[in-house]
Amino acid sequence: MPDTMADKLPPPPVAEPAPQPLLTAYPLPAERYDEMFAAAEQPRPQWQALHKELRSTSTAELNKRIQSAERQIRDSGITYNVYTDPDGLDRQWELDVLPFMISADEWRQLERGIAQRARLLNAIVADLYGPQKLLHEGLIPAPLVFGHVGFLRNAWGMQPPGGHYLHLYAADLTRSPDGQWWVVADRTQAPSGAGYALENRLIVSRVFSELFRQQNVRHLAQYFATLRDSLTQHAPRGDGTTLAVVWTPGPYNETYFEHALLARYLGFPLVEGGDLTVLGGKVWLKTIEGPRRIHAIIRRQDDTFCDPLELRADSTLGCAGLMDCVRRGTVLMANAPGTGVLEGGALYGYLPRLCESLLGEALLLPSIATWWCGEPAAMEAALARADQLAFKVANRGWGRDAQLGDQLTPEQLLVLKRSISAQPELYLAQELVQVSQTPILDMHAEQPLASRGVALRLHACLNSNHQFTVMPGGLTRVSSEADARIVAMQRGGSSKDTWVLPEGPEDTQFSLLRSTLTSADLVDSKAMLTSRGAENQYWFGRTSERCEHVARLLRVALNAVLQESEDGFSSPVFTLAGSYVVAEDERPLDRRLLDACTLESEGFGLAANLRRLSQLAFQLRNRLSLDHWRTITQLMRNPALNETVTLSEGLAWLDTAIVATTTLSGYALDSMTRSIGFRFLSIGRRLERLSFLTRAIQHACLEGRHYGLTWLLELCDSLITYRSRYMAQPEWLPVVDLLIRDESNPRSLLFQAVGISDYLRKLEERHGPCGRELLEPVIALVRDLDADREYQPESPRLLEALQQFSVACLALNAHLTSRFFAHPRATVQSDRNLSDAP
Amino acid sequence: MSRIQYQVVHRTTYNYAYQVLNGQHFTHLTPRHTAQQEVLWHALEFTPRPAESTKCRDYYGNHCHSVLIQAPHDSLQVTATTLVRVAEFAPAREFGQRSWERALLPSIYQTEALEVADMRLPSPLTPLLPAGQAYAARFLQTGRPWLEALLDLTQHIRQEFEYDPEATDVDTPLAEVFASKRGVCQDFAHVMLSCLRSAKLPARYVSGYILNEPPPGKEKLIGSDASHAWVESWYPGLGWVGFDPTNGKLANTEFITIGWGRDYGDVTPLRGVVLGGGEHELDVRVAVTRL
Repeated sequence: MPDTMADKLPPPPVAEPAPQPLLTAYPLPAERYDEMFAAAEQPRPQWQALHKELRSTSTAELNKRIQSAERQIRDSGITYNVYTDPDGLDRQWELDVLPFMISADEWRQLERGIAQRARLLNAIVADLYGPQKLLHEGLIPAPLVFGHVGFLRNAWGMQPPGGHYLHLYAADLTRSPDGQWWVVADRTQAPSGAGYALENRLIVSRVFSELFRQQNVRHLAQYFATLRDSLTQHAPRGDGTTLAVVWTPGPYNETYFEHALLARYLGFPLVEGGDLTVLGGKVWLKTIEGPRRIHAIIRRQDDTFCDPLELRADSTLGCAGLMDCVRRGTVLMANAPGTGVLEGGALYGYLPRLCESLLGEALLLPSIATWWCGEPAAMEAALARADQLAFKVANRGWGRDAQLGDQLTPEQLLVLKRSISAQPELYLAQELVQVSQTPILDMHAEQPLASRGVALRLHACLNSNHQFTVMPGGLTRVSSEADARIVAMQRGGSSKDTWVLPEGPEDTQFSLLRSTLTSADLVDSKAMLTSRGAENQYWFGRTSERCEHVARLLRVALNAVLQESEDGFSSPVFTLAGSYVVAEDERPLDRRLLDACTLESEGFGLAANLRRLSQLAFQLRNRLSLDHWRTITQLMRNPALNETVTLSEGLAWLDTAIVATTTLSGYALDSMTRSIGFRFLSIGRRLERLSFLTRAIQHACLEGRHYGLTWLLELCDSLITYRSRYMAQPEWLPVVDLLIRDESNPRSLLFQAVGISDYLRKLEERHGPCGRELLEPVIALVRDLDADREYQPESPRLLEALQQFSVACLALNAHLTSRFFAHPRATVQSDRNLSDAP
Repeated sequence: MSRIQYQVVHRTTYNYAYQVLNGQHFTHLTPRHTAQQEVLWHALEFTPRPAESTKCRDYYGNHCHSVLIQAPHDSLQVTATTLVRVAEFAPAREFGQRSWERALLPSIYQTEALEVADMRLPSPLTPLLPAGQAYAARFLQTGRPWLEALLDLTQHIRQEFEYDPEATDVDTPLAEVFASKRGVCQDFAHVMLSCLRSAKLPARYVSGYILNEPPPGKEKLIGSDASHAWVESWYPGLGWVGFDPTNGKLANTEFITIGWGRDYGDVTPLRGVVLGGGEHELDVRVAVTRL
C-alpha cells in the first residue's frame, strides 16, 4: 500500500511555500462582498488559518483529500432527492470541502438575532391560533393571515404543551455588499438541514483535521443533546416511559436521508403515517408488541399532510385523528401544525413593529426588504420598480412561480400586474440582494478556487429552560453558478460545513461533548419494531425468494423449450409455469414465457416481482447495506428489462437475475443483524420457499412418472446434490427423500418447515403463541412417512402431506398478518350537500 | 314575527364491499343556534356504537363530533335528529335601497370584524376565476341596491345552471362547474361565493336543510331529500343574510342551518377515514317535517 506508507514518512522539508496559483486567480468583483478576502491577498481574520493551509498544501494533497471526502459521501449513502431530477431518487449530496468561517464576534450577533426571531415567531403564532389580538388591533392585516394557505383553522385553540408552538426553527440568511446579514426565509413547519450540517461536519472535519483541532471549532453534538432533552422535558406524560419519534413522509421525500440520520442520532424511532394510530385522544405507535403511547413527534411532514380526517383528504402520509390530539395537547408536535403560516415572507415588513409590541425589543436581524402586495401602497411601490425586484406567491417558497422582475418581457409584466391586482394579498415582492461570495474548490476546473453565491441556514431549538439554543454551525449553501441570485439545493447548488470559531482560546467544547449522548440518556434506546417495519421485512423476504424461484422456473421452462419440438410442450414444468407465472392467452407458450421474464406488465412474472422487490427494498433502505441496495438497483437498470427479448437474450437475463437474487440472499444471511426484524424476513423467505416447493412437488406427483424428475431437481437447485449422491437418473424414492424429508437439504420441505417452526418458537418467547401449531402436525406427518411404501407419486399419505403443507402456508400467512401486521390501507370518504330544488 | 318548528331526521348509510376494521369520523351534523334559529333538541346516533365520541367546536363555532368506531362492521349508519324553531327574517325597509358598495371594506388599513374579513377571500374550493368575476359584474352595477343585486344574481344562477347530480362529484373543480353550468346545491353555492368574493363582498357557505314541500295533493316522500347548501352574505347593519342559488330565493323560514365556513370543506357533514372497506355505497336520506 504505497499510500499509507507515504503517510508515515515525515513530510518533505518545505522552506517557504510558493504562493499557490489557485489563490491568486480568485476573482474579487467590487460590487460583491467576499466572505474570505477583505481585499486581494488580505484574508479576513477568521479565514487566515484556512488561507494559510491552502497556501501550504499542494494541489496533489488537496486532490487526495477531496477524493477521500467524495468516497465518504458515497459510502455513507448521503442523498438529497430532487423530484424532477433525471437521476431520480438517488442524487448524491453535494459538498464542497472548504468550510465556511464565522468569527466569534459575528456569531454572537447572529446567535442573538436567531434566538430572538424564534421567540418572536412563537409569540406571533401563539396569538394567531389563540386570541388573535394582532389581527384585531391591525398589527398584522387580517387578509395576510386569512389568505395564507398555512393558516390552519382546525389548529385554532390548540393547547401545545408549555405553550410552545415552535421547537425547531431555521432561517436562511444572505449578506449584502455592505456586509449586513439579512434573513431571506424563515423555516417553521418542519425545518430541514441540521442533519446535513452534522454530516458535512463529519466529513470536512476529517479533510482538514489539523486545522479543525487548531481552530477549536465549536462542536454540534451539544445542540442535538439539547433538542433531545428539551423534547423529553416538554412532552406530556403518562402511559409508560416518554417516547419521542421522528416522523418522515417516507423514502420518497427529498430529505429522507436526513430524517433517518436525525432519528439515529437522537435515538428516536423513525416512523411513517401508517405507523401511527389515534386512540382515546392520544397518539400511539403500532409495534409488533402492541401500541405504545407517543409523547413527542419531530415531524418532517408538511402541515396539511398531517391528518387526512381534518386536513388534506388526499394525504396518504398522515395520521387520522392527529389534529384532535393536537387540540387536546396530548402530544408534543415539533413543530405544531399551523406554524406554516409564518413562512413565505409576507410578514417581514411587520416584524419590527411586532417585535416591539410583543417582546418590547428592537428586532436584531433584519429581513430582506419585502413588499406584501395586499397593502395597496406597497403594491404600487413594488410595481413601480418591478425590474429591481423578485415577485412570488406569498404562501409559497421560491418555487417555479417566482419571477425576477428584470427578466420579464413587457407582456409578462402586464400579466403579472393583472394577477397581482386581482388577488393582491396573494403576492409579495422582494429586493434582489447581490449576495456575498465565498470560495469553493473544484479541482476539475481550470481555476480550482472559484467564487459562488452563498446562503447560510442557521438552526435553533427550544431548550429545557424555555429559551432558544442556536446550533453553533449550520448548513452553508452555495449556488451552482458564480452569479446566481437565488441559492437553493433544489436548484442544484452545493453545500459546505460551517465553522464557528470560539470566544476564547480555551477549549471547553470537548468536555461538553464527552458528557453527552451516553446510552443511559436515551429516552428509549430499546429497539422497537413497528408493525409496518415487520410487514416490510416479511414481504421483502417473501418477494426476494419469489423472484429467485420464478427466475429458476422460467429458466427450466425455457431450456425445455429449446429441447422440445414445436408441437409438444408437454413437460410438467410448462403446466407449473402456466399455473404460476405466465399469462393465460392466445400467444404461443414460448412468447408468454419470455414476456414473463422481462415485461413488468406480466403481473406474475419475474420483472413485476423484481419491481415489487425494489419497492420494498426502498422502504427498508434504512436497514439495508449499501451493497444490498446496489445489487437491486443495478438489476433494475438491466437493459433487457421491459424489452421484448429473444430466447437467448431471455436466458442471459435470467442468469443475471438468478445470480443477483442469490447474492441478495447471501447478503441477508451475512450482513443483517439478527434483530427481530430479521426473523420476519427469514420467516417470509422460508414460507415462500415452502409454498413454492410444495406446489412444484404436487405438480410432479400429478404428472406421474412419465416425464422424469430432472426438471424438478433443476428447479429446486438440487441436481448437483442428487448426482453427487446417487450417480444415476433421478428416481422417485431418492428424489422424494431429498426434496421432502432430507433435513440437511435447504431445498427440502422439512428443512424449511422446521426452520420456520424454530423462528416462531423464538418469537413466542416474547409474544406468546405465534401460529406454530399450524405447522407442527404436518412436520410430524412427513417425518412419519414410510420410505418404501409412501414415496410414490400415487401415495395418498404423500399427497395428503403436500396438501396440508399448502394449507398451512396460507394459514400461517393469515395468522402473521392479523397478529403482527394488520395494516390495511386507509381510505377517506365524505358525503356531499346534494339537495334538489323543491 | 312568525316562528316555525321542524323536526329533521338526517340518515347517512355507508355499505362497504368488505368489512371495515375501524373507522374514524368527523361530523358537522349538529345544528347551531343562530339569530333566527333555536335548537330545541338534538341527538346524533352511530350504528355500530362508537368506542369514543368527542364533542368540539370548530374555528367558526360550529358543533362537531370526532368519533371512533372500533368494532368491525360492513355498514355504518349515522342518524342526526333535530328539533328546531326558526324565526322569519325580515330586513327593515331602508335596507332595500342601500348600495352594494357599502359592504366593501373602504381600506385595508381599517380593521373589521374578523369573521367578515375571513369571508372576503378565496378559499380552497372557491378560487377566484375570471368566469366568476365576469358573472358577478353583470349584477353589480355602480350604486345598485345590495339586496336587489344579490337576489338577481341568486335567481340567475338558478335559471342558468342546471341541477344534475351526475355532472359533478365532491372533487369537481369550480372552473368546470362554470363551464358546464351543471351541478348540485353545493356547486351552486360555490359558484355564488366565488362571484361575490371576486367583488370583495363577504360571503360564506352554509350547510343545512331545506323544507321540501310536497307537490300539491301528493303525499310527501319521506327520505327522498338530501342535505342542502346555500350562501350568506354580510351587509353592515344587517349582518349575514342567506341566499339560495339552487332555488333562486332568499333563505328564510324553510331553511335550517347546521353551520357555516368558507366552503364545503369547512363544514363537510360527515367525513371519515376507514381501514378496509374497499368500495362503498352511500345513501343519504333527509326528512324535514313541519310540526
